[in-house]
Amino acid sequence: MRLPPFELIQPETVAEAVIALANGDGEARVIGGGTALVPMLRLGLLRPERVISLHRIARLGAISADDTGLHLGATVSIAALHRSPVARSRWPLVAEAAGRVATPAIRSTATVGGNLGYAEPASDLAPALLCLEADVELAGQDGRRSVPVTRFFTGFYETALGPGEIVTGVRLPAPPPGARSGYVKFCPRSAEDKPLIGVAALVDVDPANGRCRVARIGLGAAAPMAFRATRAEAVLRGEVLDDRVIRAAADAAAAEADPVSDLMGSAEYRRQMVRVWVRRLLTRLRDEPLRCAESARDERLDEGLQTRP
Amino acid sequence: MIAIEFRLNGGARRIDAPAHWTVLDLLRDGLGLTGTKDGCGEGVCGACTVLLDGEPVRACLVLAARLSGRSVLTIEGVGADAPDPLQDAFATLGAAQCGFCTPGMILAARALLSVNPAPTEHDVREALAGNLCRCTGYVKIVEAALAAAQHVTPCASPRSS
Repeated sequence: MRLPPFELIQPETVAEAVIALANGDGEARVIGGGTALVPMLRLGLLRPERVISLHRIARLGAISADDTGLHLGATVSIAALHRSPVARSRWPLVAEAAGRVATPAIRSTATVGGNLGYAEPASDLAPALLCLEADVELAGQDGRRSVPVTRFFTGFYETALGPGEIVTGVRLPAPPPGARSGYVKFCPRSAEDKPLIGVAALVDVDPANGRCRVARIGLGAAAPMAFRATRAEAVLRGEVLDDRVIRAAADAAAAEADPVSDLMGSAEYRRQMVRVWVRRLLTRLRDEPLRCAESARDERLDEGLQTRP
Repeated sequence: MIAIEFRLNGGARRIDAPAHWTVLDLLRDGLGLTGTKDGCGEGVCGACTVLLDGEPVRACLVLAARLSGRSVLTIEGVGADAPDPLQDAFATLGAAQCGFCTPGMILAARALLSVNPAPTEHDVREALAGNLCRCTGYVKIVEAALAAAQHVTPCASPRSS
């Protein structure tokens, strides 16, 4: 079935894209990879007169890193993020989460900016970006601004994007040195599905006394939007991560979740799975300080890629 | 209409296509290449999988304009002269039943083997997770991909970034 007709605009600069969006009078939509927008067009959920593709804006496709952080342009694909050597070595949490998004043929196409702008409550990337305290960069007619990702998601598929604004990239500050992090995705149906619950966590334990200095927990699919489980984090901070503390944090995360019921599971079941998967992830991070088995396997694949001509 | 210049199965092509066409529309209706199947239209089933610069994509999700300057491989370009090891393995091991999912399976498997020439069964299952077979032939499909891996030398297909 064909998509309904639209005019396709392919600007070569962010400024041109912003103007095209403003000229659209609310009847224009921005497209990254199209994995979210194209099905919505096909289903008739959206009928824009103009579609503005960002893929010709060269600088939006770049991954760069320096001492202050990692920068991902809006059109960086989820696959490129997953195999980025610098992301894997210094921001392994976001590279790991990217590798859990859908399937290879979706990861190759879907983009970081599209993932943020779509604001899927069950996004795999969002919990990781929340834990890494990323800033989302926006451009609009009034100029550029940056919004902490903790304030970017505002509701069910809703974001802080104003009318006429475009996501141009995301900046991730360097995580605390020595911090352990991981992402778990619970899929009761099949592995490529959206998660019933996604949990990202980052903890930094003081080696001198074994107490948790930094604790961050990002939850996906546990509420109308991805969010930081701040009450659970408060339970961990300053404590030794023994089983009792981890259970208390998991209970706190379950209490602050605001899950919905859908075909994948009831709200009650989701809340229980928050408890289970927060506990399992924190236990894994405590017991497996270096890296999980899956990251090790991905590392091997990555090495294969690096040696290609 | 948008003028699109790209490489298709190794040869240069130039075609004018409506702006709202997807790669799937362009291949099937614009170029008559019906080996790429039109399944769900939502990026879920994998029947329309093609390789774009060596990476698997869903032809039903990608706008045709995105092909400009890039290289596409469809099932018509696989084994054009002699059967590809994957095609041989699928035929020999009975990994195709109705055949509708087979082009997508072959291309998804090819994408895997190009970056991981010695995959484990887990690697194959993960790479093919987005390709649905409604004849429930997954066991033989996975066996065929693993068998083909024994005969494939890693090809230097280009990969973006």
